[in-house]
Amino acid sequence: MKWIIVTGDTGGLGSEIAQTILEDKEYGIIGISRKENEVTKALKKVYAERYIHINFDLENPNEIKKLYLEKIKKVGKIYGLVNNSAYAYDDIITNAKIDALETMFKINVYSPIMLTKCAIRDMLLYQTKGSIVHITSVCAHTGYKGLSMYAATKGALEAFSKTTAREWGEIGIRSNCVAPGFMETNMSTTLSREQKDRIYRRTSLKLATDPKSVGETVRFLISEKSSSITGQVLHVDNGTI
Amino acid sequence: MEEKLIKIINTILKKEGRTELNNLEEDLSLRDDLGFDSLNLAELTVRIEDEFGVDIFEDDIVDKLSEIINKINGSE
Repeated sequence: MKWIIVTGDTGGLGSEIAQTILEDKEYGIIGISRKENEVTKALKKVYAERYIHINFDLENPNEIKKLYLEKIKKVGKIYGLVNNSAYAYDDIITNAKIDALETMFKINVYSPIMLTKCAIRDMLLYQTKGSIVHITSVCAHTGYKGLSMYAATKGALEAFSKTTAREWGEIGIRSNCVAPGFMETNMSTTLSREQKDRIYRRTSLKLATDPKSVGETVRFLISEKSSSITGQVLHVDNGTI
Repeated sequence: MEEKLIKIINTILKKEGRTELNNLEEDLSLRDDLGFDSLNLAELTVRIEDEFGVDIFEDDIVDKLSEIINKINGSE
C-alpha cells in the first residue's frame, strides 16, 4: 500500500483530494485534521482498509515529531504528503496582528515544513521515491486586497518546495505545488457574492475553480505519471493570467 | 549495539561503493574518514533513529563515531 498523508481532509478541498486519490486502489490515505467530521466518517465507511484519520491540531508544529513516531509511522511506509491544511487570516496590512500571524504561519508554513521533514526521513529510511505536494494559492502570484499575509505563507511554501526538490531530487524524492484559484469552499466564506463574482471575472474561464480539477492535479503529481516533474507550481485557477 | 551500528554505516558505505568497516574505530570522522556527505548523514540519522530511537543530530552536530556511540549509550 502506498500511504499518502493528506492534511485538512475534513475540508472541502482536502476531502476532494483524499477521495480522488482513494479512487486509485494502490493508495491509502492518512488524513490529519483537528477533528473528524461527517466527511471523514463517510470516507471511513467506503474505504475502511485504505483510509485512516488522525485528530491533530496543526497549530502545534512542535508535536509533529511525536505524531509521526507514535501514530503515522505505525501505519506504514509513507509514499506521499499533501500539505493542504490552511488557516486564512485576511485583513489589510495596516491591521496586522502578530498573534493571528503566528497562528497562520504555524498552520500554513511551520507544520508543513515539519511534516515534510518527517515524510522525507521516512522515505530515506525505506528508500522510497516519494512525492510531496503543497497546496498553495493563486494569491501568491496575483494580488488580492486583504490577502497579503495569507499570500506570504503560500509564497513561503512555494519557495520551500522548490529547494526541497533540489535538495532531495538525487534520491528520487519530488516536491511540487498546486496553486488553486478561488473555490466555493469554506476558505472563501468570508467573501461576499459580489466579491466572489468579481474574482471569478478575472479568470479566463470566468468561473470558480473546481475542487475536483485540483484533486485530479494532486493525484497526478503524487503518481508516477508525473515522474519527470519536480520543483514546479501547477496553476489550477481557470486561467488567472 | 556496535554490530548494529557497523551494519548501518556499512549499508551506506556499500551504496556509495566505498570500503566497508570491519570494526568501530571511535576516532573515525564521518565526513573526513568515511566521506559522508549531508545526504549520507541524513540517511545515517534516520537509520540510527529507527534502530535505537535516538536522533543523533537533534541537539548538535556529531562527527566522530565515538560521539554517535555516546549519544546511543546516553539514551539507553
